[in-house]
Amino acid sequence: MSSNVASRSIGILLPLVVSLIVSGAVLLAIGKNPLDVFGLIATESFGNPRRIAATLSAATPLLFTAVATAICFRSGVFNVGVEGAFLVGGLAAIFLGFTLPATWGFALFPVCFLAAALIGAIWLYVPGILLAKFEVDEVVSTLMLNFIAVAITGYLVNGPLLSPLSGNNVTPLIHEVAYLPRLMPPSTLHAGFLIGLVCVAAYGYWCRYTPAGFEGALIGLNQRFSRAVGISVPRTIVGVMILSGVIAGIGGAAHGMGQMHRFSDGFSPGYGFTGMAVALLGRNHPIGIVLGAILFGALASAGTTIQLFSNIPLDLVNIIQGTVMIFAVVELGRISLRRKKGTANAN
Amino acid sequence: MTKMTRRVLQVTTACAALMAGSVAMADERPAAMIIAQGGLGDGSWNDTANAGFLSGLEKTGIEGRPIESADVAAQGEEIMRRAADGGFGLVISLEWIHGEPMEMLAKDYPDTNWVIMNQTRSGDNIASVVFGEHEGSFLAGALAAQVTTDTSIQGINADATIGVIGGFKAPGIDKFIVGYIQGAKAVNPDIDVKVAYADSFGDPAKGLQMANAMFDEGADIIYQVAGGTGIGIIEAAKARGHYAIGVDSDQDGMAPGNVLTSMVKRVDVAVDEIVTDYAADNFPGGEVIQFGLAQNGVALSDMTHTKDKIPAAYVERVNTYRDQIIAGDVDVWDVSSQGYPDFFQ
Repeated sequence: MSSNVASRSIGILLPLVVSLIVSGAVLLAIGKNPLDVFGLIATESFGNPRRIAATLSAATPLLFTAVATAICFRSGVFNVGVEGAFLVGGLAAIFLGFTLPATWGFALFPVCFLAAALIGAIWLYVPGILLAKFEVDEVVSTLMLNFIAVAITGYLVNGPLLSPLSGNNVTPLIHEVAYLPRLMPPSTLHAGFLIGLVCVAAYGYWCRYTPAGFEGALIGLNQRFSRAVGISVPRTIVGVMILSGVIAGIGGAAHGMGQMHRFSDGFSPGYGFTGMAVALLGRNHPIGIVLGAILFGALASAGTTIQLFSNIPLDLVNIIQGTVMIFAVVELGRISLRRKKGTANAN
Repeated sequence: MTKMTRRVLQVTTACAALMAGSVAMADERPAAMIIAQGGLGDGSWNDTANAGFLSGLEKTGIEGRPIESADVAAQGEEIMRRAADGGFGLVISLEWIHGEPMEMLAKDYPDTNWVIMNQTRSGDNIASVVFGEHEGSFLAGALAAQVTTDTSIQGINADATIGVIGGFKAPGIDKFIVGYIQGAKAVNPDIDVKVAYADSFGDPAKGLQMANAMFDEGADIIYQVAGGTGIGIIEAAKARGHYAIGVDSDQDGMAPGNVLTSMVKRVDVAVDEIVTDYAADNFPGGEVIQFGLAQNGVALSDMTHTKDKIPAAYVERVNTYRDQIIAGDVDVWDVSSQGYPDFFQ
């Protein structure tokens, strides 16, 4: 167990350290003192309660997309369609948030969240069933579904759902009663962060204590063995895809009702993909996911505000993020290697 | 040091500080401009605004920075608040979606000057920048009406018929369309201006289809007021050998020779002027600032690819209209403030 914890922390720390070295070298090359810049990033991320709240606010959508990704990755299902489910789920919640009468009050919360979860589930059920029944490669199908999600939501906000008050790709605002409350006003940190933590905790419980979670892990380790002990691999695959869609959809709803209060172009600047990096970095472990989400949230939030106080371009932060992602993906190679070995042993 | 001398010292320093404050009237706190979605390098809205921003900073000696974010839609409020907390005196956002949060933040930070584009937000310390698109569109219409009957120009038929395709039937779009019609009728009262709406800002295929239908009906010049849908309109003009008129940024290069001109919003001029006013302690807080022809806030493009194709007299007549509008001799109808005119409902 302790060696497990140690290897996990190395797994999180190593990509970070390497990326700091790489970006430090870049900074030196452009004549900046890396320590000053990293210090500025640190204070802009965690320097005072208001900055911490901004970091957690930026981390919130990543909690959902990382959990949604991890659910599938640990079963060896390479679902890259969380982005799409996040978008369609978010739009569903927003649509109901401004269409249903405001007099529904608090009832809007469960209705919007349920609708988002349902739409997200249906969205990823499709590639799930295609993989389980027809062995359609899930990487291809989910990636394509992302493009469809962007196209559909883009069409709707530029057309039928466009706010009459604006010529710009945005829907109307949802009713104010449907705004998720803010946790530390005036920061934008909202109750969606807590919902995200609940999702992470539920995911941890599901992994550890439920048969479905165990079966998911088992098919990720060895499909042949799973079949041999009577686990239905297709059913498990469809199950994890649906769960992933539910979490991604809820994430879209939380982001919409807590942060944006409307749907617009740019609703998600790629949270689904950053979530993949977070899941990989966190080794699909709940605590790792929380730490990874906070790290990427800090980079997103501080990466922008450091520009106010230094002439560090956004590109530098992109380099840090990029190197963290690359070294997080190194682990992905290890997983698939292990998978192959497992199958070979079973043979 | 006795208590008394300390007291005196305190008072004198306080006075000195006050004096310094009143002598240096001009605001010297730095300025921040938040780049909209699409980021720097979009060759359009953001880059144009940034050029004006940098030029304004250089002229005034104010320090300032363009701020980019990969997640500008969701993080706008946090970025703007950080800028205000960080002692910035002027915060400009190019992102439309930042309007509501800015209205809220402006109350919390009365000492910060805020600027939003293409919308009107209330607050004593907010300047709302709007563009005189109706005036620029008038010139586009006046040019199109002259060109449309000149069969010596390639791709032009004898019909006095031109078109305009809007994204939506909405006052913000009809502001362009009405100006365009008025400009065309000023040249030729009998001209037929075909008007259609794509019901989408993001559907180039539909734009192409609708433009082709209009070309089939005898139009040879179509003004696009439809955002991304307009890309299809320009493509149709290129494919059919007719003409489109671009909008917002200089789109002449998108189909060289087939974009007659573009009705350009000079966001660079607007930002430059705002920075200059701010530096001179003359910030137009609480005002809606119109950037029309007089302010050089809207203009027709330089027509790099088409100016040799059409007689210079046409452009001269357009310039005459421009001068008349600036002088107040010609009033262009503004749907956004005046509602709909009799000739267009």
